[in-house]
Amino acid sequence: MIPTNAEHLSVPGRLLLDRRQFLSNSATALGSIALTNLLGLDGLLAADARPVIDPANPYAPRSPHFPAKAKNVIVIFCAGAVSQLETWDYKPELIKWDNKPLPGGPAVTFQGEAGNLARPQYEFQRRGKTGKWVSDLIPNLAELTDDIAFIHSLTSKSNTHGPAENFLSTGFNLDGFPSLGSWTTYALGSENQNLPAYVAIPDPRGVPQNGANNWGAGFLPAAFQGTTMSSLEPVRHLSAAGITQSLDAAAKALLQRMNAQHLEKHPGNGNLAARIASYELAARMQLSVPEISDLSTEPAHVLKAYGADDTTNKDKAAFAKNCILARRLVEKGVRFVQLFNGAYASGGKLNWDGHNALKEQYDIHANVLDQPAAALIRDLKERGLLQDTLVVWCTEFGRMPFFQKGAKGRDHNPDGFTCWLTGAGVKGGVSHGETDELGRKAVKDVHPLYDFNATILHLLGLNHEKLTFEHNGVQRRLTSVEGNVIKEVLT
Amino acid sequence: MKIRTFPLLLLGCVSLERSQAAPVDFVHEIRPLFEKHCVSCHGPEKQKGGLRLDIKKAAFTGGDDHAPNIVPGKPKDSPLLKFVGGQDPDLLMPPKGERLTTDELALLARWIEEGASWPDGVDAEKLVDKRDHWSFKPLASPALPVCKNGTWARSPLDSFVLARLEMEGLGPAPEAERREWLRRVSFDLTGLPPTPQEVDTFVSDQSLQAHERVVDSLLASPRYGEQWAQHWLDVVRYADTHGFEVNTERPNAWPYRDYVIQAINSDTPYDQFVREQIAGDATGKDAATGFLVSASVLLPGQIGKDEASKRLARQDAIDEIVVNTSQTFLGLSVGCARCHDHKFDAITARDYYAMQAFFAGVGYGERDLQTPDAKAARKEAAVVQGKIAEIDRTIASFVPVAFSGAKRVPVSSKINTDRFTPVKAKHVRFTILKTNKLEPCIDELEVFNTQGVNVALGLSGAKVSASGQTIVADRHDLNFLNDGRYGNSKSWMGNETGKGWVAVEFAEVQTIDRVVWGRDRDGKFFDRLATGYRIEVSENGENWHLVADASDRSEGTEKKVNVSNPSLAGLNPEEVRQIKHLLNEKGPLVKQLNTLNSQQKVFAGVSQKPDDIHLLYRGNPEQPKERVSPAVLSALGSLKLESEAPEQSRRLALANWIASPTNPLTTRVLVNRIWQGHFGTGIVETASDFGRMGAKPSHPELLDWLAQEFIRSGWSMKALHKQIVLSATYRQASRWNQTAAAKDAESRLLWRFPPRRLSAENIRDTMLAVSGELNPAMYGSGFDLFNKRGGLSGFTPVEFFEGNGLKRMIYAHKVRREPEAVFGAFDCPDAGLSTSRRRESTTPIQALNLLNSRFSLDRSAALGERVKREMGPDVLKQIERVYQLTLGRLPDSGEVSDAKSVLETHGIATLCRAILNTNEFLFLP
Repeated sequence: MIPTNAEHLSVPGRLLLDRRQFLSNSATALGSIALTNLLGLDGLLAADARPVIDPANPYAPRSPHFPAKAKNVIVIFCAGAVSQLETWDYKPELIKWDNKPLPGGPAVTFQGEAGNLARPQYEFQRRGKTGKWVSDLIPNLAELTDDIAFIHSLTSKSNTHGPAENFLSTGFNLDGFPSLGSWTTYALGSENQNLPAYVAIPDPRGVPQNGANNWGAGFLPAAFQGTTMSSLEPVRHLSAAGITQSLDAAAKALLQRMNAQHLEKHPGNGNLAARIASYELAARMQLSVPEISDLSTEPAHVLKAYGADDTTNKDKAAFAKNCILARRLVEKGVRFVQLFNGAYASGGKLNWDGHNALKEQYDIHANVLDQPAAALIRDLKERGLLQDTLVVWCTEFGRMPFFQKGAKGRDHNPDGFTCWLTGAGVKGGVSHGETDELGRKAVKDVHPLYDFNATILHLLGLNHEKLTFEHNGVQRRLTSVEGNVIKEVLT
Repeated sequence: MKIRTFPLLLLGCVSLERSQAAPVDFVHEIRPLFEKHCVSCHGPEKQKGGLRLDIKKAAFTGGDDHAPNIVPGKPKDSPLLKFVGGQDPDLLMPPKGERLTTDELALLARWIEEGASWPDGVDAEKLVDKRDHWSFKPLASPALPVCKNGTWARSPLDSFVLARLEMEGLGPAPEAERREWLRRVSFDLTGLPPTPQEVDTFVSDQSLQAHERVVDSLLASPRYGEQWAQHWLDVVRYADTHGFEVNTERPNAWPYRDYVIQAINSDTPYDQFVREQIAGDATGKDAATGFLVSASVLLPGQIGKDEASKRLARQDAIDEIVVNTSQTFLGLSVGCARCHDHKFDAITARDYYAMQAFFAGVGYGERDLQTPDAKAARKEAAVVQGKIAEIDRTIASFVPVAFSGAKRVPVSSKINTDRFTPVKAKHVRFTILKTNKLEPCIDELEVFNTQGVNVALGLSGAKVSASGQTIVADRHDLNFLNDGRYGNSKSWMGNETGKGWVAVEFAEVQTIDRVVWGRDRDGKFFDRLATGYRIEVSENGENWHLVADASDRSEGTEKKVNVSNPSLAGLNPEEVRQIKHLLNEKGPLVKQLNTLNSQQKVFAGVSQKPDDIHLLYRGNPEQPKERVSPAVLSALGSLKLESEAPEQSRRLALANWIASPTNPLTTRVLVNRIWQGHFGTGIVETASDFGRMGAKPSHPELLDWLAQEFIRSGWSMKALHKQIVLSATYRQASRWNQTAAAKDAESRLLWRFPPRRLSAENIRDTMLAVSGELNPAMYGSGFDLFNKRGGLSGFTPVEFFEGNGLKRMIYAHKVRREPEAVFGAFDCPDAGLSTSRRRESTTPIQALNLLNSRFSLDRSAALGERVKREMGPDVLKQIERVYQLTLGRLPDSGEVSDAKSVLETHGIATLCRAILNTNEFLFLP
């Protein structure tokens, strides 16, 4: 359990990372169980496998509930609600019904009056060994279907971007709940003690509708909040502007001496020692973060494969660099990486919210997403990283089979949409669940997003019903009181 | 289908076989069957659908929807059999796992047929009476315990703590040094450290009243209200943005924040504090009801246009009020009962909706403040507004008339006036022929009649039409064209690049002489501007007459033309002179108006006709059941109102019920919150959950004693603080004790004072205080932490602070969900959900922020400068002063020499930067 680079730590730092020392010293863990029983919390502790967090080392790797298939996760989060009908969910029947009203369909949907049914806006082809139908919108990702497990029958609890993105990322429509990445790193820590355990990489065009709530720690300790960084924006406060190296070193050395003396006079307070250790972790991050963000060490053929060298499309090049950054992070053992594609509501200009001019806008968005994301998955596979890494592609809901009245785009549809998984523990070439023949609603093997999240936790070796945290009187879970693992997509 | 009907056929056969077999034995035959197939979902762990089959009484009572599920003697009428038999495929039981075999089905049917005999006393589990719970019982008046140590206690409070310690064979820590206690109590009560002067005075004051004098002075300081208001705002998740979808600014939320600070500073009795926050509009405390609407909410434009979306959004909005009220004041999480009876607490779904009914008439929105000041300000604002409008009209009238031959100014993205000879019209059509980019966008189309009245306003009955539009929720909508609101986020956008038209039809024929339009009057957007256009008018909507176009405007576009700086081109010298004169008059008026407007409104909810509240099946607004009228939680009281009770009276009734000395929860919850504020953890660790799933009190008698004292003191929070911080318990050192820690690592039993890190706000405020930069100004609209006050994303943190930015952090404009760039990492709640207790975490990001941020570097430098200024060039004195200011003590000789070598080689700012990062600086002693 002692991180390999413990030898670089100061004496108090090293002591802290010794687990036994921590448990006997700390004010937070097993030592207080006896009294906890006394105060009526015993039931809570016994009921679940709650991780014991060493305050000096919150990212220390922790064991899953059962052997995990996946060690790391990359989530490709397409904000704005990608149309299932233009991508993964082939509906030939819709071609026949093009420009006809949907019998018995709703008069008004989220944004206003419903228009006529509209055929898929792209041609579909059979792909790979399974002959999976995928549209020409995303030709590079389409080549990967043999490795992908699609879930075509997901449902959301909200048809509004903000609450629905919350629901996808945190399991609740409301603000303030911990995100999937926070739950994961809370449970498992990280394999790398020199980098944040959980990194959120915003899209070059901006952050999604609900911003930081998508990577927020909610009521979990702040240590498990996603740290944002991207090819365009590095981690804040990595160094002190205008302070020379010798001034910096002098301040840190003095700080270390003062803290050590203080600790000597105040033994038994785990949090004091934890703060000392946190400065040492910070010092390591100061070195390792710039290193990981420096893509100049990537060979030209890699940059080209991702499209990071595309000088004609700066959004694509920046997203491609974010994809490379994601790979570099999991390569170094960072537990959870969230890679955003698409920003906030903008009439579909900056994300997948194709209300009015779907085809026109999707041509642009797919160009940003397709090559870089496909290259990422290929690259992970070639490097053998996909054996340990789960890649999740998701979006907050789908879109309607009909156009909006007077527009060439589709309205929000939370009743049946597609997300997919690939990589560690995922059965490739699977298409699970179905929407009806027009793609309006999920009809077979219907799965609320709870099930999707439960499945991701399962692949990480976590039982979604056991991973809990007490907040304001409720044992909170990522999956609320719901959730069933989708076994059909597992190896 | 065959399979599904099979069990039904089977039911018919049962009676034939019955006479031949012995009666079914529940314990040996039926219970194992329940345990095998049913109890995992309908037993002690879960009671799906409210049904449990492991306890006789519960099993015969039945579940939420199909009770009774077992009808003795009537298998065909027993829903249980229908479900396990699979008659309705949607309700097939068990939904997962092994189905009942045909033999088992037959057995079950026969058992019911025979009368469903279930002997008493065979159940392993007992039904728990959820009402039998400590916090639901009246406050006790506990006798003072007798302790072995007869000299330690200073207050009855101490006797309770000591008795509990002695029970475990433990004793208290020695008293903290005076200096330590002073630092602790200063941070605790005001969030700021004592000044060196205050330390000296107290340490040398050997009188018996010395401690009390300090406490009285701290409680009298306005800093006290600022510190304790923050605790309260954490619980009610106060923020200055709307959260959710667009997180736009909530510009007038801050009067509620200021109300809380004022109320706490003036020691408003807590029962009154409760009443004011729920129904302060009844007693002239308007800002107080900001409490009701402190949550995130979807604004009208962000809710789906379909009725189901609207119903859900309204339910969510009322839910937030119910959750806030019950968890803040009563320490109960009633939110669970929105979908089902609370699993652990005596709160039914009906209770929950009855609670909703109290708030059924509360809408989220701004209200005019009704204070005398606000009323006066409103009156005055109307006058000033009139004067400004008059000036604007006059200025605008100086624009050259279209087609007069004079070259007019180029089109501006901000505002354009097309003036023409007065003409009678009922219709105005604005046709865009060209844009500088993309689809056209117009934020407001105003048409003025010769009296200077805008007759195009939707409010005055004008109707708008267009060639088409691009709708973006809460941003672009044709209806925004004449809604009287300016800016991109209230504008019409066309759906064709470079062309389109909009038209206005007035309520009646008007004589008009001016059209005023713009793309974004806020001046943020410059694209989508109509550069080629025609304005036509018509009386009958058929014959159109051109009154202005772009042909006599100069080429190009302008970005920065605004009303306060109109172009003077094409005007004669006299007109120019007049305009300049008018502008000089206008400037101060605008300033005055802004000030007046900021004093009138508060986001504190609007009272409207109460919605009909129904019990909702599984919380689903699409499945309403019977109507519910306002009533308090049935386990706690019997107050019930008519379903037609007027809006405000509902809230008043609830407030009075909560703020009553006989309510067993209200005072317990509050005294526990205050205890938690002082010791880091409450007597009940789960400060917002006094339910069955919450923690039990560590000192139940003490909690009740404090609550009784609190009521006796007239619900005075200040009296309670004083009682606590002068106690022997609070005066203990924070010294570690191996033996005690082995039994009680978190010192819940208070064998020492549990040390803790300062809060995010306290760290920021203290850095400013010691550097001498803290701006003590109170109240008002929040200062900026980011480059914008709300919105979706792209918050760039402010790095340099001055003026209002140096006020205490409680006066910052709090953007929901956007952690402050430096201190947010110190477990500062983001106002997404209620925070009943801040968890203390330690992360490397905190270290990076505190070491390297501009804020820290600036404070280090300022502290260094301050010390040099105050102490002169003597390095030793400088070092001593830094220690006194930051740590409240003098350095020892080793520290002096260490600091001296750093200071002499690397400058005083380096010393300060290190000290501001030390544990000693950041932890309560």
